[in-house]
Amino acid sequence: MTAIGVGRTRVPLRTFYVGMLVLLYLPIAVLFIFSFGTGTTLSFPLSGLTLDWYAEVLDNGAMIDAARNSLVVGVAAATTATAIGCLVAVAVLRFRFRGRGLLLALAGLPLVVPFVVMGVAFFLLFVTVDLPRSLVTVAIGHSVIGVPYATLIVLARLSGLDPALEDAAMDLGATYPSALRRVVVPLMAPTLLSAWLTCFIVSFDEIALAIFLVGGDPTFPVFLYGQLRFAQRLPVLIAMAVLLMLGTVALTLIALRIRGRDD
Amino acid sequence: MRLPYPARFLTVLMIIGFVLAACATQSGDGSPGESTAESAAGTSAPAPSAAAEEPNELLVLEWGGYEAEEFWTDFKSAHPDTDVTFEFGDTDANILAQMQGGSQADIFHFYTGWQQFYVDEGLVQEIDTSKLTNWDKVPAEYQELGQIDGKQYFVPWDWGFTSILYNTEQVDEVTSWDALFNEDYAGHISMWNDGPGAVAVSSYINGWDETALTDDQLAQIEQDWIDQKPLNAFYWSGEYTDLCPAVQDGTIWVAYAWQGCYATALAAGDPVAYANPEEGRNSWVGLYGISADSDSPELALEFLDQKLAETSCANAVTLFYYGCANGDVMSSIDDPVLIEAFGLDDPSILESTNFTPLVTEEQREAWTAMWERVQAN
Amino acid sequence: MLGRRGTLRFLVTPPVAWLALFFIVPLALIAAFSLRAGSGAVGPDEPWLASVDQYAELAGTPAFLRLLGLSVLVAIGVAVLATLLAYPIAYFLAFRAGRRASLYLTLLLVPFAVSYLLRVMAWKLMLGPEGGVNSLLSFLGLTDEPIQLLLYSRPAVIITLVYVWIPFAALPIYAAMQRIDRHQLEAAADLGAGPWSRFWRVTVPLSLPGALVTFFMVFIPTVGEYVTPALVGGTDGIMYGNIIQGFFTRSANWPLGSAMAMTMLVLTLAVVLVGLRAVNLRRVLS
Repeated sequence: MTAIGVGRTRVPLRTFYVGMLVLLYLPIAVLFIFSFGTGTTLSFPLSGLTLDWYAEVLDNGAMIDAARNSLVVGVAAATTATAIGCLVAVAVLRFRFRGRGLLLALAGLPLVVPFVVMGVAFFLLFVTVDLPRSLVTVAIGHSVIGVPYATLIVLARLSGLDPALEDAAMDLGATYPSALRRVVVPLMAPTLLSAWLTCFIVSFDEIALAIFLVGGDPTFPVFLYGQLRFAQRLPVLIAMAVLLMLGTVALTLIALRIRGRDD
Repeated sequence: MRLPYPARFLTVLMIIGFVLAACATQSGDGSPGESTAESAAGTSAPAPSAAAEEPNELLVLEWGGYEAEEFWTDFKSAHPDTDVTFEFGDTDANILAQMQGGSQADIFHFYTGWQQFYVDEGLVQEIDTSKLTNWDKVPAEYQELGQIDGKQYFVPWDWGFTSILYNTEQVDEVTSWDALFNEDYAGHISMWNDGPGAVAVSSYINGWDETALTDDQLAQIEQDWIDQKPLNAFYWSGEYTDLCPAVQDGTIWVAYAWQGCYATALAAGDPVAYANPEEGRNSWVGLYGISADSDSPELALEFLDQKLAETSCANAVTLFYYGCANGDVMSSIDDPVLIEAFGLDDPSILESTNFTPLVTEEQREAWTAMWERVQAN
Repeated sequence: MLGRRGTLRFLVTPPVAWLALFFIVPLALIAAFSLRAGSGAVGPDEPWLASVDQYAELAGTPAFLRLLGLSVLVAIGVAVLATLLAYPIAYFLAFRAGRRASLYLTLLLVPFAVSYLLRVMAWKLMLGPEGGVNSLLSFLGLTDEPIQLLLYSRPAVIITLVYVWIPFAALPIYAAMQRIDRHQLEAAADLGAGPWSRFWRVTVPLSLPGALVTFFMVFIPTVGEYVTPALVGGTDGIMYGNIIQGFFTRSANWPLGSAMAMTMLVLTLAVVLVGLRAVNLRRVLS
């Protein structure tokens, strides 16, 4: 019995969800098909079939490095942003203190500033303090733009958890931190995953800020936009993008599977 | 004292993440794929004679994509042990900003129209062309573009045309830049998203000198482009991401375009032509400068010399459809698509071509601000 | 042993330190730039002359101000639509998906790992004159010649933005719905409330905070949006963010770009504050 909610109404919710899924995956399917064509411009019908683009991807060290760079930056940025988001959410919802609203505003404010403006601002900051630009500076920048998303998502879930749960745990002798760990974290796990994934995705495809901060090692979007300055590079890039997505899907399914087994 | 569990857990994860990022950067400095030479192979290579005292490494501030080794393969063969790394920009404004912001780059790459700022700001050093072995292959028109006040500051490298690319099935022969303002093609026109480009087009059409525009003329240009907006489908910013696909699928019939998109569409068999407007085509040239603060100016000069060498230059033409400043390479092209795209069968084409002129900072600001107002209108 | 006060210090210090250093300081630099005379990408070492020229120029350019107002309206529209359309997705995940909810949710987010630019190029291919949609229309005899579908207009921008926001917009609503106590719904049913009445009286009020979070999470960044308008908006769909981006990239006029960004920031925050006052946040949250 999954529908404890409002019972079976006539609203075709599943159809709506599947429709959304189709719209999201349709362009990717087009790219997927195109990546097996011999043509270099994105058009149909395909003039011939080939696996060359995938072979070229595996040959292209710079491209694989760029993808790895993006992965590393995404993980660092998403983890930092999620950590900060959690701390802010717990502080704001579980404690009464002066500046509560201010803290929340601070965590939400990065949403308001367009990425390109943040890029210039970070560029000025890192030049001023003489911190050489690198993947670390990109990760710092991306961690900041992820904070609002992480905070809002965690906040929305945590506001629904009854603080009495923690109080009860503490009545049973737990310290507050261990109450958080034993009671709150397990309940929050799926939300933390969503928050982390959102921040990761925001970072993974971000170019406006990255172009100002990358230094010598390009992230994948910086590499991709650069390569697209030339004709003929499109199919290789698409093949790489397809591989990256398949990798993400596989990792996600494995992660969910492992979690499912734990349950 | 102990942190609360979630904080502790996430702190650990975060530290791991940043250490990873730092490691990736470090290892990247040592071996970022194709962009660095492996130092082990360098033992047998001839040491650069004049540059022996200099650090054997170069940092190049490049446009993304140009770091591909095909573009500097001659230098790589001559100096396999030199550590060449790249930093990236994506607009002329961005490249200039990075140089002004104190970039450590030895070499930087930008396009015609921006020369004066680098000289005025003291960001570039003069070049001794007698040390460039390939310099005599560069046509005089291109050499002069790298000079300010009679001194050679820049080495020209890639170049191309700008003209009207049009669909021959939908449009009669285009003979003037004013095709971009033709109401018959409403909704099928695309202009480049660039103020100086718009000023150049209007100047050609009106017969004005774009470096000596009066305020009234600039106001007229602004109004003309505002009036053109209903005809224009979109302002393109990526040649192969926005413009070319739309030309090839028939959405766009008349476009301000570079020769690369023309060559691509032509090679794909699409019904396109590239105009020789009566006002003349435009040509833009990419220039390299050596930073005033470079620790390895001799090595940098060597790098630029080798960029002009045959293989690197020919790769720019054949692989990427860009012109190259080595005249020998251009005259030896035999691919009909490229001959057509670069007008190589027309010996007088450069005489009727308008090279993007030197502009002052004031002019550039006025033009770019004008263009942002056009867009906002 | 750590008391609540000590815990609070540990909770608050890292975010404040991180954001102060890497957000407030850069933002202050932008604010300082907006009050700087001259134009161009002035290096940090160059002399710094205070002036309000940039704001004066902005105030003296009606086209910029009109576009800012328009962008706020577009953002409100996008946020309303995205929230409404994300709501059923969140509802499906919370009440119908059961144990697979995590999987279903992740499936919505994974496509975003593919470059937005490439996905938009694929859409343009499908919607173009030779694309699948036009081919189908002419095959069915509905059209004689290819029609310009959706692309290059302001509605195209709105539709595309709603489309890319929906999966993210569903997250806060879904999170809020997860907390709804199933016993409350059962109790309502025991008291004879029908499905619709339970939905309107229990589910909607309890998920409202999530919906509000969604609204602002979409609204705030959409005001300054410039990627989507540049890709699908064409000449008519340009937004205020495109002009800001132009002053930072095409023109390198950082002082004026900064002034435009600061103005937008203040206006956006003003709209958010008015909005929060209007919905009376405290009552919603309690």
